[in-house]
Amino acid sequence: MEEKKYALKIKDLVVQYKTDDGVVEAVNGIDLMIEQGKTMGLVGETGAGKTTTALSVLRLIPEPPGKIIRGSIELEGKNVFEYSEKEMEKIRGNAVSMIFQDPMTSLNPVMTVGDQIAEVIELHEKVDKKSAMEKAKEMLEMVGIPGNRANEYPHQFSGGMKQRVVIAMALVCNPGFLIADEPTTALDVTIQAQVLDLMAKLRQKYNTSTLMITHDLGIVAEVCDHVAIMYAGNIVESGSLRDIFENTAHPYTEGLFGSLPDIEKRTEKLKPIPGLMPDPTNLPKGCPFHPRCKYCQDICKTRVPVKTSVSDTHAVSCLAYEEGTGVVLGGAK
Amino acid sequence: MSEPLLEVKHLCKYFNTSGGVLHAVDDVSFAIEKGKTLGVVGESGCGKSTTGRAILRLHEPTSGEVLFEGNDITKYSMKQMREMRKDMQIVFQDPFASLNPRKTVSEIIAEPFRLHRTLTNKTEREGRVLELMETVGLAARLVNSYPHELDGGRRQRIGIARALAMNPKFVVCDEPVSALDVSIQAQILNLLKQLQEERGLTYIFITHDLSVVNYFSDEIVVMYLGKIVEYTSAEQLFAHPVHPYTKALLSAIPVPRVDAKKERILLKGEITSPINPKPGCRFAPRCEYAKPECFEKSPELRETEKGHKVSCHFAEQF
Repeated sequence: MEEKKYALKIKDLVVQYKTDDGVVEAVNGIDLMIEQGKTMGLVGETGAGKTTTALSVLRLIPEPPGKIIRGSIELEGKNVFEYSEKEMEKIRGNAVSMIFQDPMTSLNPVMTVGDQIAEVIELHEKVDKKSAMEKAKEMLEMVGIPGNRANEYPHQFSGGMKQRVVIAMALVCNPGFLIADEPTTALDVTIQAQVLDLMAKLRQKYNTSTLMITHDLGIVAEVCDHVAIMYAGNIVESGSLRDIFENTAHPYTEGLFGSLPDIEKRTEKLKPIPGLMPDPTNLPKGCPFHPRCKYCQDICKTRVPVKTSVSDTHAVSCLAYEEGTGVVLGGAK
Repeated sequence: MSEPLLEVKHLCKYFNTSGGVLHAVDDVSFAIEKGKTLGVVGESGCGKSTTGRAILRLHEPTSGEVLFEGNDITKYSMKQMREMRKDMQIVFQDPFASLNPRKTVSEIIAEPFRLHRTLTNKTEREGRVLELMETVGLAARLVNSYPHELDGGRRQRIGIARALAMNPKFVVCDEPVSALDVSIQAQILNLLKQLQEERGLTYIFITHDLSVVNYFSDEIVVMYLGKIVEYTSAEQLFAHPVHPYTKALLSAIPVPRVDAKKERILLKGEITSPINPKPGCRFAPRCEYAKPECFEKSPELRETEKGHKVSCHFAEQF
């Protein structure tokens, strides 16, 4: 069997923010590996630590207040924490790019979209202004915007088109690795379908590895090969698409699915997760999910679960899967 | 069939802009029976929120009638309207923008009592506020908190408590869960449903999220650029959509299931401008079946089979 190549390997990453209200434990020792050419979905709700994880890969965590406490992030075989700031600048936008959630705020309002795309090219490739602009126009055409609109400003475009411009900018230097942070959340559903379709085509064309951050399990089912579910700075479950959707192991993942109205069974009552996300400056002891977990036992309140394998591809952090804890998930096992 | 609680007839709301007349809501008619929910779906700019607000006269309708229990409220004076609003309430989309940041939770919920000069006795009023907070699942200890101290789900509960304060018969829910995380979204949806069952509330549920509208509504209106394109029961709409726009919209929803891959209809282009719209079907420029006729004559919303209305010249052919 051919050895798997990884585009990204995150090991034991811990990121914190020091604020006046205390230390925000944003990411608490996560491991994440993405195979070359595959798409990993990183799923979780507001404050789960998804965006902090993504920004760590690009070394864009604002320091202070943020601080990477420990861990390593290997991008195509090299630890990004070993690069100098100057080397990092060369990597961003070139080897790894990011599509941000909000196209309204990630574009410069006083620069034409053509100039913004050309700027990326000039920064990373030895080309003159004119050919950079040519390439920018080609890129616009590729994402479905007429090249002659390159001289227009972001406010002249609709939301969906702005997001296409952002995608064009992220992909123009042909990055091997792409981080997409909720790329379609701000868009209408028919426009979302267009953008997802475009991203899939480009991914195929360039064999880009992708980290897809989203809260929408529908999008995950559609575009991802692997999934990691994040809760309170931890990856509570990870596995292949099928592992997560058909052999759901963690009670939080189960709760997420229970919260979604099923479009085919409309009468079914929703089973929401009770309570709220924990305060990241004051995370609960033991399993971080225990205050909201319907299977919670006394042991869950004190013992921190460790990553346990369910199968070759499927891992979960829940005491019910560890030997001798006595925790049982109702009906699941 | 029982009498509708609310009936909207040929409702129009135009805005004058520097570029021309913006047809936000154009000849919209529907009816809702007591205790039922009408879902209004569509994408940004389709006029769904304006419809909700025009019904409550938060935007003064340009023309058309809004019959509440048989009376046309568009003809009411401001004084009569104020009285009317005890029965007709709204829950807004953004729980961050719709609550006064300088008032406490109890002041916000008690605001309707102050406005309508009821419950002037302080003890009674405070008792009622606590009762409402319990109804919507807010802990009594939060009574003196300010909105910024609370998360989105709790803020939305305040908005719901405020809307329920005068015991309304009818509530417009304008994207009440769009700003919330899924686990919190489900909590609020269940709360709204439970309140409807307990109090026999009638809802207009405005949203862009089709899975939510399907879960919540008895009947659904699909809007596109100020017009209703399809109007039928929720079951019928999801099982047998007719209008090409509805079909594309339904096919665009990502389904959270492995192997759910389905035939996706990708729409060309984007929504056109609602300013000085051209004659003809508003969806025609993006419709793959559009014929010359579609660009000339505006289709009427007509019944293609019992209880199923579609606004398309060629509805029978789909």
